Amino acid sequence: MTTLDPKPAKAEGRKDPWSQLLNKVGKHQDREAYHALFEHFGPQIKYYAMANGLASHAEELVQEVFVSIWRRSCLYDWRKAAASTWIFTIARNQRIDMLRKMQRSSAEMLVETEDLWQIPGDNEDEPVTSLHRLMSERRIRESLSHLPEEQVTVIAKVYMENKSHQMVADELNIPLGTVKSRVRLALNKLKVILQDQNV
Amino acid sequence: MTRHHPDSLTLMEYSAGNLSEPHALCIRLHLDKCPHCRSRVDTLDSLGAVMMEEQPKVNVSESMFDSILSRIDSEPAGEPVQPAPPRISALQKLLGENLNELPWKRQLGDVSVLDISEKFPGQSEQVVLQKLAAGGKAPAHTHRGNETTIVLQGAFADQNGVFNQWDFVVLNEQDEHKPVAVGCEDCITLSVLSAPVKLTGRFTRLLNPFIR
Ligand SMILES: [Zn+2]
Repeated sequence: MTTLDPKPAKAEGRKDPWSQLLNKVGKHQDREAYHALFEHFGPQIKYYAMANGLASHAEELVQEVFVSIWRRSCLYDWRKAAASTWIFTIARNQRIDMLRKMQRSSAEMLVETEDLWQIPGDNEDEPVTSLHRLMSERRIRESLSHLPEEQVTVIAKVYMENKSHQMVADELNIPLGTVKSRVRLALNKLKVILQDQNV
Repeated sequence: MTRHHPDSLTLMEYSAGNLSEPHALCIRLHLDKCPHCRSRVDTLDSLGAVMMEEQPKVNVSESMFDSILSRIDSEPAGEPVQPAPPRISALQKLLGENLNELPWKRQLGDVSVLDISEKFPGQSEQVVLQKLAAGGKAPAHTHRGNETTIVLQGAFADQNGVFNQWDFVVLNEQDEHKPVAVGCEDCITLSVLSAPVKLTGRFTRLLNPFIR
């Protein structure tokens, strides 16, 4: 892992308006900032709920996510994750939580969703070193625009429709190996595959 | 075969929230101890955020925002700012403090097992803890389907290397090996079997990932 001067991280953090707004919510319970976040992320989360089969619970999911954002905003640290990444993980966890609660009683839930899926920055006592966490979102946005459509489609199905690689293969009527190689090619370009083997 | 760290595709399924609970547990236990994979997941979480941003938007109403506000207002004052509670890991919640004192069932020779599938209600996988006594050997065996394993205590070795605490390994039918517990502790692993083998009669007791 490369160590980099922390200064660019600060500059990057300041440039991200959503992280600034989220910070205001966390520090000052700023309702105007909270409303701006709702206007920006609310429609994304509602689409997310509809895409992954929770259409009849879409508004409920948006509400749960925003209540959770309010409660947890004091834990948000922009040096550990951009606001949109942090909010994505909350939306993901609330979706998982909603499905878990539909499927069983709370007495059966020995572990919380967050014991299994972590929100970045929570309970993390490691030093803040990951400049690339902030850089990565911008880099991903840029590289994504250069990826072939077929690769983006597969990734969108995994993240938005919550389909396993096998389900994506079945739906697109292509072999599982093809799905996997498209994902690998994309992750390679997005530099997620650092060293899969022998690390 | 995946050894020591989960592969990027599995981490992507984790980041997307598509893994079953037992599989997510294996990943999470590894992430808690592996900064390298944690940073890979951070990047994948950002990929998720960017994917969400790239999708069509669905209108949300002001009245929805109002009901969110009334929910947060109905909560006791001062509640939103709460430091994170001291962390009890998922493993402790599921299995308690001392893995060695679990009701292990002695199997062949140096191997003991404990099926903990019932701790994951509604999940189809078989979840098994295995203990190989310090210095002990498991008989040679292969694996059926994909079997995800994480080392919880001690270490084991096979012809491919040494697996230490919190190492992650996925084995399948091509992977024949003969694990040996190394070091002075019993080696305890947690395995998730996506396609549990259904055997009956006298073979039932052989049903575990160290011995097949
Ligand atoms: Zn790792």
